[in-house]
Amino acid sequence: MKLTINTPEGTRDRLFSECQERRQIQSRLTRLFRQRGYLEVSTPDTEYYDLFALSGSAIPQERMVKVGDPSGKFCVMRPDSTTPIARVAATKLCSLPLPQRLYYDQTVYRSNPAHNGGSREIPQCGVELIGAKGKKADLEIIVTAVDALRSCGAPRFHVELGHAGFFRDLAGRLELEEDKQEQMRALIEGKNFAALSAFLSPYDGHPACAALKQLSRLFGGTEVLDEAERLAGRTEAVDYLRDLYDELSAAGYGQYIRFDLGMVHQIDYYTGVVFRGYVEGAGDAVLSGGRYDHLVEVFGREAQATGFAVDVDAVARTLPEIVLPRLRCVVHYEPGYLAQALEAVDGRPAGTCELSPCRTLESTRNLARDKGAEAILVFDKDGERMVLV
Amino acid sequence: MSERLRIAITKGRLLDQSVKLFEQAGLDCSPIKDPGRRLIHAVPNYPLDAVLAKAPDVITYVEHGVCDLGIVGRDTILEKGGAFYEVLDLGYGKCRFALAVKEGSDFYGTYKTRRIASKYPEVTRAFFEKKGMDVDIIKIEGSVELAPILGLTDAIVDIVETGATLKANGLVPIETVAEVSARLIVNTASMKLYKNQISDFIAKCEAQLEGKA
Repeated sequence: MKLTINTPEGTRDRLFSECQERRQIQSRLTRLFRQRGYLEVSTPDTEYYDLFALSGSAIPQERMVKVGDPSGKFCVMRPDSTTPIARVAATKLCSLPLPQRLYYDQTVYRSNPAHNGGSREIPQCGVELIGAKGKKADLEIIVTAVDALRSCGAPRFHVELGHAGFFRDLAGRLELEEDKQEQMRALIEGKNFAALSAFLSPYDGHPACAALKQLSRLFGGTEVLDEAERLAGRTEAVDYLRDLYDELSAAGYGQYIRFDLGMVHQIDYYTGVVFRGYVEGAGDAVLSGGRYDHLVEVFGREAQATGFAVDVDAVARTLPEIVLPRLRCVVHYEPGYLAQALEAVDGRPAGTCELSPCRTLESTRNLARDKGAEAILVFDKDGERMVLV
Repeated sequence: MSERLRIAITKGRLLDQSVKLFEQAGLDCSPIKDPGRRLIHAVPNYPLDAVLAKAPDVITYVEHGVCDLGIVGRDTILEKGGAFYEVLDLGYGKCRFALAVKEGSDFYGTYKTRRIASKYPEVTRAFFEKKGMDVDIIKIEGSVELAPILGLTDAIVDIVETGATLKANGLVPIETVAEVSARLIVNTASMKLYKNQISDFIAKCEAQLEGKA
């Protein structure tokens, strides 16, 4: 039988600097999360499909990676981490006082259409603040999102805020049937300006219509909030966003904050503030989150919650490549001198010096030449000496 | 990322009409019209670089963010899908997807599972799924009209402009599946990161479209 030696589509081997670039992001993010009081949880790679189906996951079934289970039940590789963590919070942590601050550093799995270059394995670092509602909880999560992107070293980035309530409020005033409302939502989400305008023209003159027509264009700085107020009058959602912005500005975060009131994805899942982070150089949002007050209760515990996830690879791709140190020196030692040889390796910058596995100095010299090292450090009965290659 | 926006334009007829639109909007398109051996064409009097590509590739480039904007037919958007903003109906490249059958045949008058030939299996699937109808879809790469004539399928789903080709082959369109025209699409991150430049470009195009309407 001829073996297939390629990796499956959407997966890849990561070598050397690629691993470091990823680890660097992960360690910066998780250090921040720990600093802010979040505790790490890790959930299984494989879960019952029901978990995601019951909780109304935004990931459609066809994008979940399925695996068999000896029980005969249908399993999938976790397509997101929030749902399993909500399960944990409602079950294993049910005797602990709320709020609980949890973070994760784990991969999610999503299958893509063939040949689209997308990855099936997406490493994410994220936080969930479970059992806290209100402005202070939202503020905490948003500043942590900003600090997360900042800690990664992204030179130009911003976090965009929206509010699920704004669309619900406006759409409610129009009293559309469910499928019509969904059609409108999709047009707003896709920023389909012209089609949205045409869709809404039968409702011209309705008080909510002007605002809905403009909804996909309502993104940018605080002027967006003024415009929303002009179009829709005072709304709880916009007042709340303004309030958040004032607090964020006072804390020095204003420059990183933008708004997009047309952020209407997963409208049945998110219950309040939603947000996304954009970094220059990435073709899509690299951070995504929001308030989801009804998810945890699906698993039997009432707890409002908010959180976000960072796509580690997407962030890593926007940063300069890490250049690995070059091997400069090979250590050759005679039997009995291992301790001294090790001391020499451990005393130099990582990756610049390594032990030679060769028995003779001559073979070590050949090895050093092949690997491009400049010098050989020899330890034997005459002590320590440096030989140039 | 540079200060200049990059747009991918579908080659062929949509390109000619896009150039016309751009020129009406005051953009100097001489490098696009006379491309020579270059692959990226800089508009001299506006911060825009154009690349020309096949329709599905326009979506690919925009989705991955290597182009900020794209011009592509709605037919390709419906078939290929993807995550991007579809901001404008440019009004040209108009045609429609239609379900067409052999003249005189009764497509809906049977309980048998019908077979449909199409170059656009995804559009076809979505159309019948919405109807709650099970059909067998056969992908044909060339002249789809041949399939029902040869007796391979009961119907076709294809792009119809005038209907002349259908008629010449004894086929009649019985239902519109979707209206098609050229669309301006925008990468989701570019829209946010270069809002002012992109809004300016959209407004320029919009002004021309409104002028015509």
